[in-house]
Amino acid sequence: MAASRRPSDPSTNIPDYEYQDVNTKAFHIGSFRTEWLNRLKPSDYSFQVEDEDAFDAKFAQELGVNAETMMELKSVCNVESLRCDDAKVDPEVVPPDSTLQTLVQRKEKQDLKASKKFFKNRHELYADELERLTIGKNPELVDDMVPEGELILTINVFYPDVIEKFNFIRPHAALLMMGSHTLAELRDAICCVSDLQVCGEFSNNPDAAPSFLSKDHFKSAFFYFEGVFYNDMRFPECVDISRTTIEWAESHNFPPFSQAKMEDTRFVDLKVKVGFPYLYCHQGDCEHLIIITDIRLAHRSDCLDKKLYPLLTHKHRFTTQKCSVCHVFIGRWFTTGDRLAPSDPCLFCDKCFRMLHYDAQGNKLGEFQAFPFVDRGAFN
Amino acid sequence: MDFCLKQVQSDCEELLSRFQRSESVRFENFSEIWREMKFFQIFYGTTKRQKRMFARLILDKAYSFFLPPFSFQIRVGALYLLYSLYGCQTASPQEQIRVPLKDWEDIKRFEKDAVDAQHLDVVYILRQLMAQKAFYFTAMPTLLSYNKKRKLQKSLQCVGFMEPSSRPQELVSTELLEELAHIHGLYGKMKGSVFPSTEQSASSVQLIRKDLVLELRRTVVDFYQWQCKKESDEDEDDGGEGTSLQQECSKRADLLASIKSKAFGQASETCRSRRHRHVELNVSSNEVGSSGFPSAQRLSLKARTKRDVRISGDMRKEAETRTQINRLTSLDFPVTKNIQKTQKEVSSEDDDA
Ligand SMILES: [Zn+2]
Ligand SMILES: [Zn+2]
Repeated sequence: MAASRRPSDPSTNIPDYEYQDVNTKAFHIGSFRTEWLNRLKPSDYSFQVEDEDAFDAKFAQELGVNAETMMELKSVCNVESLRCDDAKVDPEVVPPDSTLQTLVQRKEKQDLKASKKFFKNRHELYADELERLTIGKNPELVDDMVPEGELILTINVFYPDVIEKFNFIRPHAALLMMGSHTLAELRDAICCVSDLQVCGEFSNNPDAAPSFLSKDHFKSAFFYFEGVFYNDMRFPECVDISRTTIEWAESHNFPPFSQAKMEDTRFVDLKVKVGFPYLYCHQGDCEHLIIITDIRLAHRSDCLDKKLYPLLTHKHRFTTQKCSVCHVFIGRWFTTGDRLAPSDPCLFCDKCFRMLHYDAQGNKLGEFQAFPFVDRGAFN
Repeated sequence: MDFCLKQVQSDCEELLSRFQRSESVRFENFSEIWREMKFFQIFYGTTKRQKRMFARLILDKAYSFFLPPFSFQIRVGALYLLYSLYGCQTASPQEQIRVPLKDWEDIKRFEKDAVDAQHLDVVYILRQLMAQKAFYFTAMPTLLSYNKKRKLQKSLQCVGFMEPSSRPQELVSTELLEELAHIHGLYGKMKGSVFPSTEQSASSVQLIRKDLVLELRRTVVDFYQWQCKKESDEDEDDGGEGTSLQQECSKRADLLASIKSKAFGQASETCRSRRHRHVELNVSSNEVGSSGFPSAQRLSLKARTKRDVRISGDMRKEAETRTQINRLTSLDFPVTKNIQKTQKEVSSEDDDA
């Protein structure tokens, strides 16, 4: 009997580990949701908390308990009875005399920290900020309410592969999305500097640069999940950039890949492995790893305002590269072959760049090449 | 936050092992231990963001004790622990208890067992958590970010939290015995029908023991009694209780059925608590050694086999002589050996874990 307890039917959509504590086997997200909803009563995943008297009455009736026993049960199981503290102990302070190993360690750490000068990490400060904004937020309009039983996914987006130093240390960003969101909505939520990159040399006409934003010119992109390329085909200028890979794979006897449109694919339509790295590719070769770290039913403590999703819960903050003249503002231009510059290439903020390289009428002074520069920290 | 995982684990284990020693599944007993240990203070002194991270960590840890293979009593302890941690946490809003879909059936079965045994406090607390919306209904028990985490060594304490092995009992169920008797009868008849006269067939074809089914049953019962006795022998202090335990064992008319529900019985709870004390002794001796295993478990395979394998009655001699290859193909293969083998596999699995 014990042996047959957990049938390991591969066709089920009950997620289980492929590699213990690392990633799951592939499952269909929508069916996973259905499996949960089939097992639960709507009240189980409702955002409303059941009235206590109603709970007691139902419990007493179902278990055949009389009023007296019910009273006793309630008093025995009262959470308040677990906090038997004398008022002297401050919950914000580590109790000095505890026998719990966790507290002994915490006390040691805190004493150590107190002996040093301590600055709060900027990441932590910012995370506090993000958390405060989003927790338990309810919408103004009922229509904007996240429906009960909706799925919430946590998605980690990593740096493009070229910045090898930062890969896998920290996700670039962590987003919360709903099961009903499309992949195109995920795409729009991913901020990457290469979308803001401006290609070209603009020393003769620096004012023209902003109109050449890469994201307006090169709109093609794809996600890759479990053998399927999901292409962005929302705009007429979009091309299927997964074609090259698919054809190459075909000619090299790889298992076949297929294609779909990201704007037509919702998360609930996807088959994925939780915890497994997938791909987002845009601007031709800017590749980001995407990991779905969690999928669960929405909870009353979640942000319940649909309009606030995709919801950023974490964002890496870069140190920014400053202008080499004023050392105050973030670099916007870099120049090469520039006799006015102390180095080659050299980074300037917009103001210093123009003051140094152009006269009052905007005429170029001397020979140099100028390229617009977008700092990685531009989204901070 | 992972830096305190080991400490959190050992605090949870200490609480649960004290609860185990209380030989009770009552919340009253649990909350007494909780207060005694001032466990609610475990949240004290965490700063803003740590509050949530620490609550997440300790709830995940506590949840890991709430599932099989831990014994019913430990699972009850884990449920109480979750309830208490959930109620006492300092994070606001509260961190939820993550329940993955694959565990849901286990939890429903646990609830049913508790209802059947009328453990009102267990049922009340589980349903309270549901009503308070204390659960996240998730895909997996933790967030998976493709990080290879350091493997936390499975503590020895945990071994003491598990059910004693009952594979032979589970394997040889009443249904199986009935079915076996039926098939055995049919088989006998079939063989008999080949021969014209009945007296000829009886002697020449009946190579298998006639009382196969009875013997199988007897052997399993025997094994269970030995198991109880072995566990009680391991703790010399309560020799008295050990005898009552054996009486308890033999009293049960339908042993196989009772084994299923033994988690609720006092008998097996004492079994387990002794088992635990035995393990604890090993823990202290192990702290000196460098390996993760206590010296008692580093016995040779032969010694372990001798210790763990049950050999019943007159089969002992037979089993002690080395099994010849031709014996393996002989028709009259003693059933006991199969059972011993199962038990051996189980115990060696335990050692590996
Ligand atoms: Zn990019
Ligand atoms: Zn400047």
